[in-house]
Amino acid sequence: MRGWRPALLIAWRDALRHRGRSALVLVMISLPVLAVSAAAVLIQTAEVSGTEGADRTLGAADARVRTEGGGQVVQGVDPSRGEYAQLEVDPDDPLTAADVRAVLGADARLVPIATGWQRARLGDRVVDFSTTGVDLGDPLAEGLFDLERGHLPGAPGEVVVNDAMLAKGFALGDEMQVGGSTLTIVGVGRDATVRKYPVVLGAPADLPDESVDRREWLVAAGPVSWAQVRELNAAGGIVTSRAVLADPPDVASMAEQMGYDTGRNEMAAIVALVIVMALIEVVLLAGPAFAVAARRHARTLALIAASGGTPAQARRVILGSGVVLGLVAAGLGLVAGVVAAWLLVPAVQRFNGEWFGPFELPWLYLLAIAVFGVLSAILAAVVPAWLASRQDVVAVLAGRRGDRRPRASTPVVGVVMLGVGIAASSYGALTSDSGNGALWIAGSAIVSVLGMVLVVPVVVSGVARVSGRLPLTARYAARDAARHRTRTVPAVAAVAATVAGVVALGIANASDERQNEMTYMPNAPMGTGVVSWGPGVLPGEQAPDPDEVWDRIEAAVRSAAPEVGFQPIRGLEESYDPEGWTSTNVEVPGQDQELCCLRTYGPSVAIADSAAELGIEGDTARRVDAALDDGLVVVLNGSVDGRRDAVLSQQTYREGVDEPAASSRQTVPAELVAWDQRAYGAAPASSIIPTATAAQLDLDVVVGSARLTGDLDAATSTRIKEAVEAVDGASLYVERGYQRPDEAVVILLVLGALGGVLMLGGTLTATFLALSDARPDLATLSAVGAAPRTRRRVAASYALVVGFVGAVLGAAVGFIPGVAISRPLTSGYGGFGPDGPFLDVPWLLIAVIVLALPLLTAAVVGMTARSRLPLVARLD
Amino acid sequence: MNAVVHLAAVSRVHGEGATEVHALRSVTFRAHPGELVAVMGPSGSGKSTLLTLAGGLDAPTTGSVWIEGTDLASLDNAGRARMRRTSVGYVFQDFNLIPALTAAENVALPRELDGEKGKVARRLALTALEEVGIADLADRFPDEMSGGQQQRVAIARAIVGERRLILADEPTGALDTDTGEEILRLLRARCDAGAAGVMVTHEARHAAWADRVVFLRDGVVVDETGADEPEALLAGEAGR
Amino acid sequence: MSIRQAMLAILEQGPMYGYQLRAEFEQRTGETWPLNIGQVYTTLTRLERDGLVEVVGHGGADDGEEAASDRQHVSYRATEAGRSEVSMWFATPVPRSQPPRDELAIKLALAVTLPGVEVAGIIQRQRSATMSSLQDYTRLKRSGRAAAPQEPADLAWSLVLDALVFDAEAEVRWLDHCEARLRRAALDRSDVRRDAPAASTTEGITR
Repeated sequence: MRGWRPALLIAWRDALRHRGRSALVLVMISLPVLAVSAAAVLIQTAEVSGTEGADRTLGAADARVRTEGGGQVVQGVDPSRGEYAQLEVDPDDPLTAADVRAVLGADARLVPIATGWQRARLGDRVVDFSTTGVDLGDPLAEGLFDLERGHLPGAPGEVVVNDAMLAKGFALGDEMQVGGSTLTIVGVGRDATVRKYPVVLGAPADLPDESVDRREWLVAAGPVSWAQVRELNAAGGIVTSRAVLADPPDVASMAEQMGYDTGRNEMAAIVALVIVMALIEVVLLAGPAFAVAARRHARTLALIAASGGTPAQARRVILGSGVVLGLVAAGLGLVAGVVAAWLLVPAVQRFNGEWFGPFELPWLYLLAIAVFGVLSAILAAVVPAWLASRQDVVAVLAGRRGDRRPRASTPVVGVVMLGVGIAASSYGALTSDSGNGALWIAGSAIVSVLGMVLVVPVVVSGVARVSGRLPLTARYAARDAARHRTRTVPAVAAVAATVAGVVALGIANASDERQNEMTYMPNAPMGTGVVSWGPGVLPGEQAPDPDEVWDRIEAAVRSAAPEVGFQPIRGLEESYDPEGWTSTNVEVPGQDQELCCLRTYGPSVAIADSAAELGIEGDTARRVDAALDDGLVVVLNGSVDGRRDAVLSQQTYREGVDEPAASSRQTVPAELVAWDQRAYGAAPASSIIPTATAAQLDLDVVVGSARLTGDLDAATSTRIKEAVEAVDGASLYVERGYQRPDEAVVILLVLGALGGVLMLGGTLTATFLALSDARPDLATLSAVGAAPRTRRRVAASYALVVGFVGAVLGAAVGFIPGVAISRPLTSGYGGFGPDGPFLDVPWLLIAVIVLALPLLTAAVVGMTARSRLPLVARLD
Repeated sequence: MNAVVHLAAVSRVHGEGATEVHALRSVTFRAHPGELVAVMGPSGSGKSTLLTLAGGLDAPTTGSVWIEGTDLASLDNAGRARMRRTSVGYVFQDFNLIPALTAAENVALPRELDGEKGKVARRLALTALEEVGIADLADRFPDEMSGGQQQRVAIARAIVGERRLILADEPTGALDTDTGEEILRLLRARCDAGAAGVMVTHEARHAAWADRVVFLRDGVVVDETGADEPEALLAGEAGR
Repeated sequence: MSIRQAMLAILEQGPMYGYQLRAEFEQRTGETWPLNIGQVYTTLTRLERDGLVEVVGHGGADDGEEAASDRQHVSYRATEAGRSEVSMWFATPVPRSQPPRDELAIKLALAVTLPGVEVAGIIQRQRSATMSSLQDYTRLKRSGRAAAPQEPADLAWSLVLDALVFDAEAEVRWLDHCEARLRRAALDRSDVRRDAPAASTTEGITR
């Protein structure tokens, strides 16, 4: 520490003296530290790990043993988190209670526990819930369920439920029919794990596991060692042991045991990339403040040099402020982050289906985050410190302002790095199918951004050189920006890095959306609606009469929207019946290849007498009508036209039997009609049989769905939707073409907002630091008669120069990874429509960022800058 | 004859209560066209305050300041700024050129601030630079000039666009005797051509270039030398 | 005395008669120190007596008309001894050990010691006067031949003017200094008077 003391002292005093600048740096560094540390604390708290989760799955037991059949099991320390795999399963030879006792001792007590899913009817609705069948009265089950009202199940048929079940409409004391038996809700409480979904707990006999070969026990046998776990594994047991969780053995992870690619390297690389990018951004944002600090200290440093100080000693003064501010910012950010996380826990819990663990601080991560904060501050101070230590002592002591000329080699290195970035991203894009293409591209993004940072000084100088024809304030801003490059360059680079990120993600997103749009498969002709109906029927219940239900649906639609056309689409009866169900197909011998791959949205075989009935239009409609008039079966397909003989085959199956109980084949004359999927989208059906022909063939005809035509605007469809969904099992779908999912739009907005904030931050920092630096110049301007608003104009011009140069550079650089990443992102087969890769450049977004945002920022700056000019101060 | 700048019973108090400082106490002061007036006095006598008031950079606590017949109190901030760039030229001890602008651009500054077209402003600037004898340095940046050259640029900036009041605050303070004298000669020439000049200095040798020397002490005019009427001076000149 | 050496220095350039000598002197020093012709001849006579100059002869061919008397036609020339006297003069700095009597300094010194004389007024009046002459010198400097010296004689004249300017400036600065010191002295006196009782009590307590 020798030699650092005075430097840190100067830095500390300086930080106190220049509160505004210090606050700026503190905010820049402590905000990311705050956000990341809060997230780390929240994640750690939400994660129920090891022993914390033991009580939830184990209750009071020493272990929980599960089997899904005999055979070797590979498992990790905590199989309740999915860390297990069964190598070869023999469902007929599952682990038995005796097998467990053989390993854990004859006096081991085993309490069976069964988990599964069930459904129950509530009014005209059917509710899904998960079940746990265990004797809750057993001491081993203590902790699995926390009773709040009522009592635990005592008699057969008694169950307890969680709050989510009540939210579905059940109440304490209600009876429900589950799997043929009647269950009574006798208690309500809190399930140890599940918060959001309905859970029913009762005796194993009442809530059996529907899977035949799965068995599970809670075991009381004293601590179960890892050796015993491995022993049970050999017999097909999957073991969650309290002793193992509390003191995890040093075992390889599941994936390594199984020899999978863990994906850990890739993950680590991506995390490293994110950290590096964040570091670059923070360093660039905080850099200008240190550059200004270095300039303020220029005289001090020159005096140090003049009185025999080494450059290293001079550097320490600036680095010292990095250390001081970094430490303070990291500390503040950390404390604020922990507090924020603590405040946020209840809010975040609401969005999460599982109960969180106790509030926890991941000390190691927090330490790393704090180090990140300090490091970013020091890095931000490095370049100004280095430049300051190399300053021209004579010039500084003589009171001349301004930076040195940039070295010619710097931009060359930058251009080379940009070239490397382009090359690497191209390589990544081209090899994306096989290997780490995305990694190459992300790495190239960093290289490109760093290269760009090196090019910025030249660009800024260039802008200054061509600024001769600009209005006064703009010219002044451009020239001043170029003169004070240590301050301007990081700010411009910060803006550019932000813009590059936004543009890259924007291109990736737009291309992805373009792919989604191009490969979108409509489910009905554009603008039409389809009402479908599928009743929820529990075993043993009689399905409602379809004709009566469809009448109700039609009435509902007509009353909700009289002007909308309602066209029932008839098809063959295919609904489930315990007596057996019949599947009907129309096949054209020898044409399998051509008949495949047509997507349909209606029934596979429709019964209709006109094309209009099915909403078929154009040339195809004419040919379909002609064929139907002739009593022919119409077979829609991808490519073939013409008259053929088709086979109508029918098979009837019964439950539990693989072979058809009955089967028939009848040859019918058919007309093949090619369906242009690109023009019309999905076909309404794969084949159409005229009503008369269907009657001749003795087919059961029912209404399967209904087509709505007419003006289906948003309001109308909402009205119809509400009316239709009053009928149980009925739903409405309106085809509106490709709709961008809401969350995608939200993500874009968040991205844009974040980019805007960062851009504004970078620009504001640079501008206000520039303004405080430009005090003497502004005073001179005032003395020669500048109006007070000149200060605002200068500020706005400055913001414009920083924002505009940064945005243009950033947009250009953003294209490199953006275009590259769009390739692996969109080259997959969409299944429908053209194949990728797709490339779509969101020009509007880019225009907004490059033109509108700098102008907006300049306007904000111009509006908020004080309009008072300083007085020329001279010592009398 | 009408004074270009007229300070009428002007007082200026800085601070309040215990820290109250009377920089000027009821000072009356005039500068006429063709006249160079030097203001002398020890440190803290109020010289610089007088100059900032005369240029409308600051407002008096009591009394009024008139520039070319306009009461500055009747103008708002923007109006005073307009006055500064159209009627008043400032020359400072440390030149106060804007390092980011070339010599010509520095000189053109007041005109451009006044909304003049770039080309016109530049032509005026070149004329002014020619007048101070450094037209060949028009496209240099302040860094690339000597102190004397920078001060010439500053004077060019003060005279560009036919302004009739030049206020100079120790204009030769940072220069050697010979260069300083060149600068004074320029100021003198400008005043002989009809402008009114007010120069604050603490060197009698420089004050002697003025037609009139005003001594300030503790914010009060204690003495005044030189003919009060320029006519007398002219008569004197004619007599030689 | 400097007039002697100055005339000798001019005569070193070549023989001259009295009027010529006076004109040459005045051209170089800008009529600042006017010489009367009697003084010139008295000095020449003394120089001749000391063997530093010698009479060259009666008149030149071209100056017959200017001659008013017999003596005026006498030209003088520096002797060898005179020349060495001149180089001695140039080689020796002007001594400051014996300052010339300064009337102003004497006047102020007396004024300060005598009761009933308003020193500040004297200083102020003197400063105004000095300032006026300073302005006069400066006006001479910036106009006429001193403003843009062409010949060595013009340059000589402007340097003499500078000497006067700096001299006057020094006087003004000295007057400023006197004024400042007098004011401080006055302040100290009043302070002492005010502090006196307090000081004595403190003293009393410590004893």
